[in-house]
Amino acid sequence: MSLSQEREESLVKTLKENFPADIKDATVVRRSRIDVTVAPDRMVEIATFFRDKLGFDHPSGVSAVDYNREARFEIVYHLSSIRNVGQRDIIVNLKESVPRNSPRATSLVKIWPGVENYERESLEMFGIQFDGHPRPEKLFLNDNWDGPPPMRKEIRFPTD
Amino acid sequence: MTTSDKPAQTTDLPSMSPTEPGAQTMTLSVGPQHSGSGHMRLIVELDGDIIINAMPDPGYVHRGIEKIIELRNIIRSIPVIERPSIIDASNLNHAWVRAIEELQGVETPARGQYLRCLLNEMNRIMSHLYWLSIYGVFLGHTTMFMWPLGDRELFIDLAERLTGARITYSYLVPGGVRRDLPAGFAEEAVKRTEYFEKRLDEYENIFFKNPLFTSRAKGVGILSSERAIALGSTGPTLRGSGVDRDLRKDEPYAAYGELDFKVRTRPDGDSYSRAMVHMDEMRESSQLIRQILEKLPSGPVRRKAPIVVPRGEAYGRVESARGECSFYMIGEGGDKPYRARFITGSYRNMAAISEVLKGVRLADMPTSWWSIDYWPVEADR
Repeated sequence: MSLSQEREESLVKTLKENFPADIKDATVVRRSRIDVTVAPDRMVEIATFFRDKLGFDHPSGVSAVDYNREARFEIVYHLSSIRNVGQRDIIVNLKESVPRNSPRATSLVKIWPGVENYERESLEMFGIQFDGHPRPEKLFLNDNWDGPPPMRKEIRFPTD
Repeated sequence: MTTSDKPAQTTDLPSMSPTEPGAQTMTLSVGPQHSGSGHMRLIVELDGDIIINAMPDPGYVHRGIEKIIELRNIIRSIPVIERPSIIDASNLNHAWVRAIEELQGVETPARGQYLRCLLNEMNRIMSHLYWLSIYGVFLGHTTMFMWPLGDRELFIDLAERLTGARITYSYLVPGGVRRDLPAGFAEEAVKRTEYFEKRLDEYENIFFKNPLFTSRAKGVGILSSERAIALGSTGPTLRGSGVDRDLRKDEPYAAYGELDFKVRTRPDGDSYSRAMVHMDEMRESSQLIRQILEKLPSGPVRRKAPIVVPRGEAYGRVESARGECSFYMIGEGGDKPYRARFITGSYRNMAAISEVLKGVRLADMPTSWWSIDYWPVEADR
């Protein structure tokens, strides 16, 4: 496998050309790994662009990260591609930040139906609301759980 | 910790009273008492005996592993991250060390990479055999329950010789593997894989060509390739819908770039296709084991790697028995990750369950949904 990162760099370039004002940051982390940070209010448009124009049709997961020292949550959509055989090894981490005191984001289920469960998990584990989610209910936790979202950083184990 | 006074099960099941006006469908709760599904529940809505909607209700074996591994150093976490799928421990372990090595920039010696692939392929066979035995039970085929579980011992014994443990090995560590191949291993492995492939022929004759199976699996539980991709399906479930996606080929990690094997797909997207992909993959893995032992380079099996997660982000993923297993790891320079997001093949394939079961007869439910090889513990983590 060659060590060049031409494919990754051209992807980043296309993205910056099409959304010059909305891409906060787009970098090639290493071969096959790209990080893209966007403004939450432009997420839907950029995600649609990723799916339709760049061929990222295969959602690989969604992560939520609690940066409590910076008072924000980061929501990361991990995208990969089946349609474009030449970029099947690439993972794009499409990120947006939401404030920790009012965590709200727009659901991307309409764009990738496969993210439904991951968004539900982010809701119950971090307390992030996803507007437009078809089923904003608990996934793994008991329905009668009314404690704090357990994956937040301030929640510790009793034995800790 | 904090739960309210409400009873634990509050998902309301509608009344099934036949006198109720307008009541035409029935809601049935399958599980979570290990009804052959593992500890999870399916809420199935029926019209007569046709399933019009099936909703998975996971979480009965959720152990908060993502939280646990934020609090332990990366070596102590290895036994923990194997737990979601102990029958496929090596592949999960591999995703973990790949994420760490991506951050550390540590290169594993070639022999170590080959030995990783060796255990991975043995695990793939063991996991598929376990799946097959339960599939046999679901179809009322007792022989197909006994045989795969018996033949699985062939590989469990081999794994014990290699790693010292039968099921959960903790064999892969950042920088390589824990120990080298024991004397006489290769000869024994060749003998066993050759015997195993003969057994697979017998499986085909007694089960996979049996009308008892084919009549209930062919054309039943359809997942189209478009839907499979949009739902993010992975592993044999995706390949059973005709998509030639396999990370071992698409992102050749460890020694897979130097090994010769085919990505086995089936075009129809029905239960039969998904089941046959498992069968074909066992053959591929079996020949891969012999190939690995033949091509095994000499040299060290492990390079020293620090117990440190350097600052930065990594996405380590592998093709596990049930599909892509990945760790999205964020490091801060300490000995534990700041965050390690753990997404497994079963978790990803959960989205396909409703799709596959829609329109299927209740009696065909086990055949259809177990063909996805959904492992509740692996999905819940």
